[in-house]
Amino acid sequence: MTPPATFRSGLFAALPIAMGYLPIAFSFGVAATRAGLSEAETVMLSLVIYAGAAQFLALALITSGAPLILSAFTLIAMNLRHLLYGPSLLKAAGQGASTGRAWAWAFGLTDEVFGAALGHLARGGRFSEPFMLGLSLGAYASWVGGTGLGAVAGGGALQDWPALDAGLGFMLPALFLALLLSILTRPQLPAITVAALVTVGVTLGLSPTAGILCGMCAGAVAGVLGRRAA
Amino acid sequence: MSLDLLMMALAVGVATYAFRFGPTKLNLQGLPETSPLGRFLAATGPAAIATLFVASILPMLRAETGQALPLVFGTTAVLAVFFWRRSVVAATLAGALAYGLTVWAAALP
Repeated sequence: MTPPATFRSGLFAALPIAMGYLPIAFSFGVAATRAGLSEAETVMLSLVIYAGAAQFLALALITSGAPLILSAFTLIAMNLRHLLYGPSLLKAAGQGASTGRAWAWAFGLTDEVFGAALGHLARGGRFSEPFMLGLSLGAYASWVGGTGLGAVAGGGALQDWPALDAGLGFMLPALFLALLLSILTRPQLPAITVAALVTVGVTLGLSPTAGILCGMCAGAVAGVLGRRAA
Repeated sequence: MSLDLLMMALAVGVATYAFRFGPTKLNLQGLPETSPLGRFLAATGPAAIATLFVASILPMLRAETGQALPLVFGTTAVLAVFFWRRSVVAATLAGALAYGLTVWAAALP
């Protein structure tokens, strides 16, 4: 049996996430200061909310003059998908998975951290809370650090390095593709196919946020129906 | 710092934290693998990763500027390195490197 993964291996597993987060967080820092937020307010949003898409939407809502209570409800609704991550991850972790320190690592259970943790388990790794802490902390530090750098440096910092900017911009799609390959099995194909098709359809027809939520739910339902029929 | 902004961030942050942390305290130990909820949770992970991959790559596919070639090289590098090394970290870094190098090469005079 493989030993439980360590805090250090969690930090290592966070490396591609951290490198992918950095340019996005940087962009958020730039956009927020351009929208009129102070550097402290910009970093505070990343420290407290820590949900990339919701933060960008928050900027759009704030600058459009939407009431803050309405903005808050919109952003909360956008993050509803996170309800599924903890149970799904612990189900994959199997019997005896400890959650005594979930209060700490679950704060950082973002889309990417969830995917990386699931990929770790699918490749035969054992669930451990120190690993989850390392994974979450590495990603969080990169997100907050990138936001701070963007807020301080302004928009021109990566303009002289277009290839680096482009490569970093491809980091998250590359990570998701690698994670998808790492968990790819024949029984999961219906869930994956339906999720992908529904995401494309709803994103093009409605919005990217609706596409993510509908794709995820449709894929999970397809997984239930597919396995029942098998 | 704006107090209104701070209050909004706290409300969203607390709710998001509750969404992430709260369900980890559900007792799933006795949930049968073959139950509808068990199958739903087992399928959620792959469905979520497929969704996030599509959502992240769709804007690149729809972009009018020349992203096709870097996308082809970046994706090929991820596939090749993953099947060679079976490492998510190595495949991700190779994909980003291939994408960046293609952008750099395309910009050469």
